[in-house]
Amino acid sequence: MHVRPGGAPSHVRRRRRPAGPVVRRVVAVAVGLAFLAPFWWVVTTSLARTSDVYRFPPSLLPHWHVANYARAWAAAPWPRLFGNTVLVAGATVVLAVLTSVLAGFAFGVLRFRGRTALFTVVLAVMMVPQTVLLIPDYVIAQTADLLDTYWIQILPWGASVFGIFLVRQFFAGLPTELFDAAELDGAGRLRMLWSIGVPLVRPAILIVALNVFLGSWNSFVWPFVMTSSPAVQPVEVGLATFYGAQGTDWTGLSAAVTFTTVPVLVLFLALQRHFLTGAYSTAGGLK
Amino acid sequence: MPQSPLTRAVAVLAAGVLAAGGLAGCGAGSSTGKTTVTFMETMSSGTLKSSMEYLTKQFEKQHKDIDVQLVVEPDYPTLRNKETAALAAGKPPTIGQAYSDWAATYAKSQVLVPLDGYAGKADVAALYPGVRSDLYLPSDHKLYMWPFNKSVVIQYYNQKMLSGKGKSAPKTWDEFAATAKAVSGHGTVGVSIDPGTSAGPAGGEAWFEILAAAYGTPVFASDGKPRFTSPAAVQAMTYLADLKKAGALSLGKNYPGQVALGAGKGGFDISSVASYFYNQQAVGGKFPMGTAPLPSGPAGAANQLAGTNIVMFAKASDQEKKAAWTFMKYLSSPDAQAYWASHSGYLPVTPAALPKMADFIAKNPYQKFGADALKTAKADPPYPWVTKAQGELAVAMQSALTGKQTPAAALADAQKQAAAEAKSGE
Amino acid sequence: MATTQAEQRVSPRAVQVGRRPARRARNGPLAVGLTLPALLIFAVFTILPTAYTFVISLFDWNPLNVAQSRFIGAGNYTKLFGHATPSFAASGLTSLYFTAGMVIGGTALSLAIAVLLQRGGALLGAVRVAVFVPHVTPLVATSIVWVWIFNPQFGLANAVLHLFGLSGVDWLDNSATAMPAVLAYSLWHEVGFTVVIFLGGLSVISGELGEAARVDGANRWQEFWYVTWPQLRPVTVFVVTISTISSLQAFTQFFLMTGGGPVHATTTLSFLLYQEAFVFFHTGYAAALAVVLFVVTALFTLLQFRTRRSSSR
Repeated sequence: MHVRPGGAPSHVRRRRRPAGPVVRRVVAVAVGLAFLAPFWWVVTTSLARTSDVYRFPPSLLPHWHVANYARAWAAAPWPRLFGNTVLVAGATVVLAVLTSVLAGFAFGVLRFRGRTALFTVVLAVMMVPQTVLLIPDYVIAQTADLLDTYWIQILPWGASVFGIFLVRQFFAGLPTELFDAAELDGAGRLRMLWSIGVPLVRPAILIVALNVFLGSWNSFVWPFVMTSSPAVQPVEVGLATFYGAQGTDWTGLSAAVTFTTVPVLVLFLALQRHFLTGAYSTAGGLK
Repeated sequence: MPQSPLTRAVAVLAAGVLAAGGLAGCGAGSSTGKTTVTFMETMSSGTLKSSMEYLTKQFEKQHKDIDVQLVVEPDYPTLRNKETAALAAGKPPTIGQAYSDWAATYAKSQVLVPLDGYAGKADVAALYPGVRSDLYLPSDHKLYMWPFNKSVVIQYYNQKMLSGKGKSAPKTWDEFAATAKAVSGHGTVGVSIDPGTSAGPAGGEAWFEILAAAYGTPVFASDGKPRFTSPAAVQAMTYLADLKKAGALSLGKNYPGQVALGAGKGGFDISSVASYFYNQQAVGGKFPMGTAPLPSGPAGAANQLAGTNIVMFAKASDQEKKAAWTFMKYLSSPDAQAYWASHSGYLPVTPAALPKMADFIAKNPYQKFGADALKTAKADPPYPWVTKAQGELAVAMQSALTGKQTPAAALADAQKQAAAEAKSGE
Repeated sequence: MATTQAEQRVSPRAVQVGRRPARRARNGPLAVGLTLPALLIFAVFTILPTAYTFVISLFDWNPLNVAQSRFIGAGNYTKLFGHATPSFAASGLTSLYFTAGMVIGGTALSLAIAVLLQRGGALLGAVRVAVFVPHVTPLVATSIVWVWIFNPQFGLANAVLHLFGLSGVDWLDNSATAMPAVLAYSLWHEVGFTVVIFLGGLSVISGELGEAARVDGANRWQEFWYVTWPQLRPVTVFVVTISTISSLQAFTQFFLMTGGGPVHATTTLSFLLYQEAFVFFHTGYAAALAVVLFVVTALFTLLQFRTRRSSSR
């Protein structure tokens, strides 16, 4: 596949080097730039005058035409939409972390009759795709008067199979003696969960929280179907609506895409170590 | 249950979540002695949005006891989705925009109020005849709709580009094809259209319907039966496919004709009069934008009366219905229509508005020939399957124009689908 | 890291069920109480609705006026094999096209990128972040960006082709190129996650076997093919499964980029389900589609459990 530099016999080398360092770096940088190119493209477009945009081949340098941002910002109730997203995502995280810690503790630490059966139920939940749930949950929400509310965006995602598994796994990995300290009653065990357990599984909680938060922030079809008024709709649905209404205003659209995506990117860059750790630990469990 | 830090924490969190849910109620807003009329509509951008808001404010000034809430959706497929969703949830708006085939579907499910009890004979007589005939449903011949935003299709063109080739606005579709081909090349395309998808037919599909009528046979018979395989329909499709092959027509999404025209990369935009202000803004004075009536075909001039009416949903209280009718009637009044037509680009629904907008007509001739077309333009017949069948035509266009199928084969497929849909919809 | 709600439901398969010594205390009531909140949510919003879908699928359901709904037994299921366009079979093939592209293309691409980026210093670390970033972006926002990239007259994609002297392509407006275009976007969005999964897998496999292979004269390719990749088998199985399931469910990019067109070229089962249920309001027929989609997904899930069990033996 590749010509090795120098003449040293391969078995002499101790370090594992899959490719020549320079070639490898050049290829790696090219790959990285390819993945970043769409970001550059949307920011450039968002800062261009209309006359710069409709040109071929396109100009790839920004023109600092910030009026697009003002126009896009004025075209929809963005602060409300952002607020809705933060509220829905935040409440979903709180609920999902809570249910995950409680159930994860029960499955990971306690031994009780019916554990396998209940666990099988949780497993079965994974088999149901979200798309399948759209219709019946819509009818249920309609019956329960939950359509077009925050509730229908929060409650269904307030329990996470992934969260229960991960927390359970962390608890199962703790030394048995920790929770064997004394014969405790139910309340005592709850206190123990709160004071000893929760701090020990904090990494898992963070991973679950990030996962659920991003999942909620990025979800589209669920809120799009379940809600109809901007008073409760999240920002991504607002963005799709904006796209439907202003589909020809590419500079304004690009500005809206940029300012709605930046919060997620900032969150990711600030916490990227945890994101990557989360994914790594997923792979680690595969061994 | 004994109190522990955890249970307290749970209680606090639960309270927080409950509070979050409680906020949901805020959106609705309770009445303060006023009657609230909710109007679900799609005037979501540009001058359409601002003139809709202006008219609503004017109305509220004149009627202090009525509060009109506009529920804005970005486009017609979404509007229909949300109206149906709201009906399914038992919380429909008081009134909503609707194409006549939607109204047929709604009426069949018994969720509409006939307007015969509200509209007087004189109210109906004040409307253009073409507009009037589109308000009744064939199932029981009752008045279910009231006109709102009516439009016909016209041609917009780049005057500089056309005169550069020694051309002027074409009078027949054959001339149009020749001109579109003449200006194409070097990144410029004669005309760009969006047929839409099976889920949402768009402007390109409307053009096809008009072409078929101009070649002699409208695609829907007056009883709603699809006639997609008529020689006229095949000729119309062949016409478009030839333009595509010659590089004089391209397909796109999101008003590609407007984008290309505005960018100086398109010769024509075949679009509704409601595009007028959008197109003007897209062109931005870079060159003079011409407007002209649609060219005519072998069977003469043909055009489509497009746009929606307003329907009233059955769920509202009598008081709300009364208030809603007051608003509907206001929207069709000569004053409101004169404002609406000269700011939104749509055509007035009553000739009584014309004297009140003489200035505007003088400066914007398209309103004149648009209103003329209103006298002859035909609307698609009001049967529940029409939008779905138009979706099949949009698919046939994509198929024939990208060379996937011959025009005849693509139309035959669409005909089969639409006929089945019409049969199950009866 | 999983970012869609669908994935959240899927990822846990990664985590093995551990064995714990027996705990003596009687915890029955407490344990049930602790699992109850989660189970209640699952029951109300997942388990019962799944059963309800089956009920709806037996009706000609009128969402506008439920009283007008009619029981038609298996009518909706026989219609699945009727002449509706796009047919159930055609959409199934479209789903298969997309899924195969995502699974084969995605796995190969992410494995290649993972091998390229494994270990290494700050520069490669930065590239790892760059590759992962698209995965955290909302599908709505970035689908819109890619519609603009694929604009035939003014877009970046044709500008790149132009650079190499190639003529432009209609991308999303041509039934032959629409699916490849959506695939390109989806790979851009999803590959970052699977790259990191593979990196995680690569970081824990034994380097000694590779050393031994090289001593025996194996070249890089042989080393990868015969030594490295076999050790990544469980990771690969996981990536294949999660890609399969999330591809079967993919919806947002189709909704925003193509609307299922042109000529149904991108009408996948998920999109068809949405369109039948929420555009045409053929609710009963859509519910029948949902039941089929559920069975297919459940089969994949079970298959994966099977493979996992046999591979860990």
